[in-house]
Amino acid sequence: MSNMANGDSDELEALFDSIVRANAQADGQAGTLVERSGQPEEPPPSQGRITEPYYSQLGHLTRKLHETLKQLGYDKALEKAVDTMIPDARDRLAYIAALTQQAAERVLNATDVAKPIQEELEIRSSALAARWDCLFRNELSVEEFKQLVHETRGFLEEVPRKTADTRAQLMEIMMAQDFQDLTGQVIKKVIDMAQEMESELLKVLVENTPVEKRAQLETGLLNGPVVNADGRSDVVTSQAQVAELLESLGF
Amino acid sequence: MADPNMKFLVVDDFSTMRRIIRNLLKELGFANVEEAEDGAAALQKLRSGKFDFVVSDWNMPNMTGLELLQKIRSDPTLKHLPVLMVTAEAKKENIIAAAQAGASGYIVKPFTAATLEEKLNKIFQNLGGAK
Repeated sequence: MSNMANGDSDELEALFDSIVRANAQADGQAGTLVERSGQPEEPPPSQGRITEPYYSQLGHLTRKLHETLKQLGYDKALEKAVDTMIPDARDRLAYIAALTQQAAERVLNATDVAKPIQEELEIRSSALAARWDCLFRNELSVEEFKQLVHETRGFLEEVPRKTADTRAQLMEIMMAQDFQDLTGQVIKKVIDMAQEMESELLKVLVENTPVEKRAQLETGLLNGPVVNADGRSDVVTSQAQVAELLESLGF
Repeated sequence: MADPNMKFLVVDDFSTMRRIIRNLLKELGFANVEEAEDGAAALQKLRSGKFDFVVSDWNMPNMTGLELLQKIRSDPTLKHLPVLMVTAEAKKENIIAAAQAGASGYIVKPFTAATLEEKLNKIFQNLGGAK
């Protein structure tokens, strides 16, 4: 993992250097550009072509962001995000897709089994009822009556077996819902992961905002917590405390 | 044979899973079932009413199933209760930790009705043997 990170860092640095070098060569102002690296937000005052200041600024910003990330240990946090969190989230979402599909198929299979059983019971009981109606209208011979009684008895003996089959399918449908508990847990983990990534990226954003704008940004970001923090000593209320906390956590 | 009137407490933060377990227990002849949505709520119910059996999830907010199990085992009035863990935590460490904390049985989700019946019967047998 750390080898990969170093590889990435080297690549980033090489990319950055190549941009700066290309710029410097094109412009013949290599010295100026290197000297400027401390204040990238100031565009070079005299540029021959339109694209050059942007390249140069982009390069410096990339360098500054890269250095900040390294200093604060965020490169590790982002590396974690890219290397483990995103593939992990992808795996978890694939798991959810697989489980929900499986559940849907189980339910559809169960209804496929149960429906014909119910239809058969419906048709046969209706047919028997119609013949009993005939009996009560005195339309059946003694022989037909005997036959009806015999068939009705056979049908009644069969019904509990059929309803037990249907009930088994209803149980199957019920058990198929167990995916909701499992996917629910997994979805919660993915949400936590997204929140963690969001907060890491927000920290990077705060650290890379010019100081005069930072105060503005921080009030925006910390608005909620400050309201809740009134009269409490267990919350962070100043930049110094944030720095202290980050330091204690090893950042 | 277990008493069909014995009172179960089903603990899970997902209402669908509580309903599934409740239905399975009913199917097995146990209709006296109450539910709790986490370990803390379960402990409160256990302490205020008489229960004979606990079926608990592991991963829950407020108090996990393992913490609940530990609380039950350390409470003189509850420690005799059989506790069956029904959880998606499938790592060996989890199963060992649950066993060491005094779980009566361990079922990994997703599970079948037959598995639940088998584990319940095994626990009932052990209870019978202990008496």
